[in-house]
Formats: sequence, structure tokens, C-alpha cells
Amino acid sequence: MSQAKAQDPAPHTREWTPRIVAFLCNWCSYAGADLAGTGRNQYPPSVRVIRVPCSGRINPIYIIKALVDGADGVMVSGCHPGDCHYLAGNFYARRRFTVLKRLLTTMGLSPDRVHFTWVSASEGARFAGVVREVTEKVAALGPSRIMKGGDMDEL
Amino acid sequence: MSFEKQRDEVAALCKKLLADGAVSRVVGFREGGVEGMSLPYIFTDPAGVDMLTWNSRCLPNLNGYLTGGEGNTAIVAKPCDARAVVALISEKQLRREDIHIIGLVCDGMVDANGDPLPACVECSVNCPPVYDDLIDDPDVAEKTGGEQVSNDTSLERFEAEIDKCILCFSCRQACYGCYCQTCFMDRGSPGWQPTVPGRGDKMLYHAGRTMHLAGRCVECGACENACASGVDIRYLIREVTNFVGELYDYRAGMDLDARPAMLSYAAGDREVGFLGGDGDGH
Ligand code: SF4
Ligand code: SF4
Ligand code: FES
Repeated sequence: MSQAKAQDPAPHTREWTPRIVAFLCNWCSYAGADLAGTGRNQYPPSVRVIRVPCSGRINPIYIIKALVDGADGVMVSGCHPGDCHYLAGNFYARRRFTVLKRLLTTMGLSPDRVHFTWVSASEGARFAGVVREVTEKVAALGPSRIMKGGDMDEL
Repeated sequence: MSFEKQRDEVAALCKKLLADGAVSRVVGFREGGVEGMSLPYIFTDPAGVDMLTWNSRCLPNLNGYLTGGEGNTAIVAKPCDARAVVALISEKQLRREDIHIIGLVCDGMVDANGDPLPACVECSVNCPPVYDDLIDDPDVAEKTGGEQVSNDTSLERFEAEIDKCILCFSCRQACYGCYCQTCFMDRGSPGWQPTVPGRGDKMLYHAGRTMHLAGRCVECGACENACASGVDIRYLIREVTNFVGELYDYRAGMDLDARPAMLSYAAGDREVGFLGGDGDGH
């Protein structure tokens, strides 16, 4: 009996995998993620997808909040510039994300914790590739220590 | 001394504006409140203008007092106050025709010990970019650029600063740009606001506020002057302001006709820090 117990790995020794919050625009990237599934493109199960109507609908505070609440990484993807369903949402979003990333790195956050990109509805394989790339980068940094009230070393 | 001369000119002008009925209120400063500190004051009566003061301790940004009231308003405006007026007009919070800008050439304000304030040392705009009347000061040489500050972007620095913060929100209250009726930090649903001020909540507040001020900060330093805990968190917005200037060629409050950077876009905007974008985000 004690032998069986010894074989059972304790929960804290379980291998750590990054938890990444992915904000995907409904019209392109979410459909791209769907296509990755139907096309059986393999990618790591590290992303937690949140579907938003448009990349322009993503309030930068959502991204900050995800990090504060313990996400190891955040990725955001919308329609390619010029292809936004609402014409210009992603153009405004592009400026916002560019500035947000600079702000987060100014605060001492690693630039590899947050990622912005464009994936269209026909780019299933690309979506899988992006998730792989983001997962590798976040995994290399290890778990995030930004937590409510917690201690923030090793961001 | 130049302050006294400017003060007399401003007072005479304000008296005239009020007496003529050109404006119904003048937002300026008077002595009082904390010792050695000038107090924002709304003058409505020409006789009251005798109390008006203008000295090296006129710290607050007066733009919080501009809205409301009947008729036109005049503002005794340091260059940063004037920039904030312009920014509020660009954001459609004020109408140009309702505001009379009495611009003052300014050589910077000082703290309680008489030392120049950090924001004033860095400031590169000592003449209001937009005004109706200009109160010049021949003793003040035109500035070509402020002192450059190199930004330490380490996590240690950020932690050291937010550890001093007690989340009192004075910096928000002092800022011209924080005019939301309900700040995201005060909203009950979704509840962004903290129950116990921890590092994560302070990060949420300061990062959120900096994003809201992106491309809008007029570099007045009112936020850090208002902080009772000595938190220098203004370095975040300074970095963002410089970055927006570099990327989108925009500085808030300098030009009435320019569209705010975060309210516009160009098809060829750079994607600094994007996956496969140009530049590494540093
Ligand atoms: S963020 Fe600070 S320096 Fe910038 S406009 Fe607001 S109060 Fe002034
Ligand atoms: S004024 Fe100072 S202590 Fe108060 S919230 Fe702002 S930075 Fe924190
Ligand atoms: S609808 Fe996809 S980015 Fe706007």
C-alpha cells in the first residue's frame, strides 16, 4: 500500500505548464483557432481562450487584470490590419497594444509575457504555430509571480 | 522680481475681464490654505481680484475647476495648464470659445524647501502654446529642451515605488486628464478595485491609469506633487509620453488642430513588440 502511494506523484511535483490567456477576435482569430481544430493542427493546451467581438474591444485593463490575477502570459490576436469586421477596430487596437507593451516592459515585466499578433480565419496552421511559439516563450520564463497582494519577483 | 510684475499684469487684466463682463469667472490662485502654498480660487467679483496671487508655489493644475458655472471662464494658465486646456478642447470636454486663456511665461515652480520641482526641471515648454493674452517675463529665457532623465525600467524600481503607494488616489484627483465620472478603480461591477492594497492591485491601478493617460499627459507633474507618500510613479507615463511622441509624432496640448494620438491611426503604423512586428519592444 505504501508502495502504491510512493508511485503516485504528489500534486506539487506535477510538471508545470504555462497558463496563457488568449483574447481572440470573433471574426478572424477565433475562427482561425476553430480551423486549427478541424484541421487537426496540434498545439499545446496552454491557452485559455476568451472570445471578444473585435481586437478593438479589448480594454488594456483586461490584459493587466489577467496578469495580476495570475496568468503566466497573455496573447491577443485579431484580424489582419485592413480586414477588421468593423473596419478600423484593429487599427486603434494596434496603437493601444504597442503602447501597452512598452508600458509593461517599463514596469519591469518581461516582453515575452505578452504577445500581440494577427491571425485570419483561414490561418489555422498559423494559429497553431503562434500558440506553440508563445507557449515556448512563456514556458522559458517560468511561472508568473504577479499576484494579488503577492510578491512579484521573477516577473 | 518678475513674479510680482506678472502678478500685477494678471490682476489688472482679470479685473478688466470681469468688469467688462467678458468672463464671469476667473480660475486662478490666492494665498491661503497650507502655509507657503497658493490655493486654487475662482474669482467672480472684480474687487476680489486683489487677493489674486502668482508666485513660485502655484503648483496645482487648474483644469479641474474649469467646468461648470455660467458664462465664459478665464484661466490663469501656466504653460502646462494651457496645454491641459488645449487637450480638453481636443477631447471635446471644453469649447474653445468658452475659455479665455491668460497664458503666463513660467520658469518653474518650487517645492516647500524652495527646490525646483522635478517636472519643472524636465519641462521644455515655458511659454503656453495657445493663449488669448500672454503675460510675458523678459527675464525668462526661452527653453529649447528640458533635462533628460534616463528611465530605470527594472522590476526592482517598480516594486520600490509601488511599495510606498497607499492607493489614496490623490494622483488621480490632481490630474487634469482623470475626468471620468466613475473611475475604473471605483467601479463595483466589474470590481477592479482592491479590498486590501497589495502589489497586484497597485499594479492594476498604476498601469491602468498610465494607459488612460497615454498620449494625453501634459507633463505637469501634478500627480507627483499631490502624492503624500513620495511615490515617483510618473516615470511610467513619462516613458509612454516619449514613446508616443517618437512613434506617432504627437504631444498632448500643443496644437488645437492635432488629433490625439490614441484616437487616430495610420495604415502603416509600426508594430513595435508584436510577434513578427518591427522592433523588439525596447
Ligand atoms: S499624469 Fe501627472 S504629469 Fe501627466 S497630466 Fe496627469 S497629473 Fe500631469
Ligand atoms: S498619490 Fe501617491 S500614494 Fe496616493 S495613489 Fe497616487 S502614487 Fe499612490
Ligand atoms: S473584427 Fe477582428 S479585429 Fe476587429
